[in-house]
Amino acid sequence: MAAYFARRFLLLIPTFLGITFLVFTITQFVPGGPIEQMIMNMQASGGEGGAGGGGAAVEIPPAAMEALREHFNLDKPFFVAYGIWLWDLLHLDLGVSFKYNQPVIDVITSRFPISIYFGLIGFFLAYSICIPLGVFKAIKHGSAFDIGTSMTVFAGYSIPGWALGGLLLVLLGGGSFFDVFPLGGFRSEGWEDFGIWHKMTDQVHHTLLPVLAYMVGSFASLTILMKNSLMENLGQDYVRTAFAKGLSERTVIFGHTLRNSLIPICTGLGHAIGIIMAGSYLIEKVFNINGIGYLGYTSIVDRDYAVVMGILVINTLLVLVGNILSDVLYVLVDPRIRFS
Amino acid sequence: MANDTTQVEAKPLSILQRRWRKFKTLKRGWYSFLALVGLYLLSFLLPILINSKALVVSYEGELYFPAVADLLPFTEGHYSAEELGLYDPRRPDRLMRGEARYRLLQEQYEASDEGNWVLLAPYPYHPNESLLKEASFTGHPPTKPDARNWLGTDDRGRDVLARLAYGFRISITFALLVVAISYLIGMSIGATLGFFGGRVDIFGQRLVEIWAAMPFLYTVIIISSIVQPNLKILVAILAIFYWIGISFYMRGEFLREKSKDYVAGAISIGESNAAIMFKHILPNALTPVISFAPFAIVGGISSLVSLDYLGFGLPHPTPSWGELVGQGLANIPAGAWHLVVFPLGALFGTLLMVVFIGEAIREAFDPKVFSRLR
Repeated sequence: MAAYFARRFLLLIPTFLGITFLVFTITQFVPGGPIEQMIMNMQASGGEGGAGGGGAAVEIPPAAMEALREHFNLDKPFFVAYGIWLWDLLHLDLGVSFKYNQPVIDVITSRFPISIYFGLIGFFLAYSICIPLGVFKAIKHGSAFDIGTSMTVFAGYSIPGWALGGLLLVLLGGGSFFDVFPLGGFRSEGWEDFGIWHKMTDQVHHTLLPVLAYMVGSFASLTILMKNSLMENLGQDYVRTAFAKGLSERTVIFGHTLRNSLIPICTGLGHAIGIIMAGSYLIEKVFNINGIGYLGYTSIVDRDYAVVMGILVINTLLVLVGNILSDVLYVLVDPRIRFS
Repeated sequence: MANDTTQVEAKPLSILQRRWRKFKTLKRGWYSFLALVGLYLLSFLLPILINSKALVVSYEGELYFPAVADLLPFTEGHYSAEELGLYDPRRPDRLMRGEARYRLLQEQYEASDEGNWVLLAPYPYHPNESLLKEASFTGHPPTKPDARNWLGTDDRGRDVLARLAYGFRISITFALLVVAISYLIGMSIGATLGFFGGRVDIFGQRLVEIWAAMPFLYTVIIISSIVQPNLKILVAILAIFYWIGISFYMRGEFLREKSKDYVAGAISIGESNAAIMFKHILPNALTPVISFAPFAIVGGISSLVSLDYLGFGLPHPTPSWGELVGQGLANIPAGAWHLVVFPLGALFGTLLMVVFIGEAIREAFDPKVFSRLR
């Protein structure tokens, strides 16, 4: 077993190299790459600063251009550039963001808590609603309750989380209809000066809608997974045996069947870490939340490739580790499983 | 005599026919299927339903059919204003230049009363046409729904209903293309890995793993921020990520079917690999692939809307749901709710129908019978 997981961890390395190599290749051959973007920024700010400059182009001396190219390793063959990038990565150096003028690591870690905050709350709420709902639907299979909630499940599957968030913002954000919730953001301005009670209500006020948007993504699939898993287990022989020896329905379902039917839910937990930590580009953009997802989106728009690659590295590692974690959980909760 | 009766008996239904019949009995899915297919077919008639060009123009005894030309790719439907005798509203003594404007033309014909007439399309606005220059256009774009523009106009003064309708056709076409191409790739790769097994499988699985661990949406955004996608490129970008899911299903099915007796039988009578794969295994391996298809379509449609919303989707001025939502959400206090509510309503309705179809197909192809013991 230990050998199996050791091998899995070793296999992370080629997979990780493959992914980063692919994306690095893409970003290296970009027209409008980092240097062009920088020059454009300089021209824009020069135009604003110069008195009646009329957008006169800022001439970059060839020597400075060469220095810039050297700085971004664009003068080297791109295998070498990738090698340098990888070597720096091994030393936990993801480079410097040209937009924020800070090390990429600092830019990313400063955004992490916000994404994790929303991700974790959404995750716990989703699981604590979907599991009881799925169980109840399975027990009452075919009842009016089951059919009625199935409609909400279908509806939840038919609307992407960010779209629901946007719809709620338009309806409740005060533009046209009801002014109940703020238009996104993480906290109100001047939050630090609020009293403790005000601080809490303000935070909840800003949290409710985004969390709803996060939840709807997993709501449908998680509920159905729970329901089907329990239904499948209810038809097993051991359930017949348990009933035959005279156990009450309550004991059979909650003591025996539920535990077995939670196995597929548990193994999904590993994949969830990627979702929790990485945030959602779309939801964070809709709600103007300054998390990892929004950072990823703006860095792509600004062609801040050091940050783009940094986020890719973290995302990829989370997905890969999450996959392994899922397998570990699988073994832990189901003793019948043996990987070798 | 006994033989005769057996010959009279109807040919037994194939499994596909039986599943099709079962699918038809599931009303919610069946009616969604009819409605969606009907709407999609109808959307190909959009040039004569929702168009700024007139259906028929009768000018000095001659008939012109400008809108019909839009239906057929190889015809030319452009008529200049001079050709049809359209005068410049600001200088009534002079003919207008450029392409004819048919709503204006109708007004002038009716006013002059010379026996010329124009038959406009039922909803006479084109999705890419800005109404800002119209004399009757009042207010600032985006304007709210009114009697003329039923769902309002967007921030460039284009009709929202027209953009939604054309956007529907593009969204469905896009999703169908993505699913078709990714199925072709995914099924071939999955079938090859599953059938040949061994080293091919181990090596192939590593490559698939690399592909599958890529942050999908993020990578798609990176690529389309670089290459300025059009419809073909965007379909290709999504298809190169979408095939992975199908290939897993296909590989599993082929692995399982390969070990069954009928395959051993086929091998022993000397059938070629290709014949075994396509004639024998493939029909048995289709169930999970078919029941997954509607959900792949849901994924395709929502990916397009998401990318359009982020601004990495189809180029301007393609009618797009996501772009409208982006306009509406960019400035919520301005109160352009119709730019968010209507496109998202269209998205929700479309996806709900596809989900209903998917649920019915799954029920027909892969019925789960739960025995409840107690």
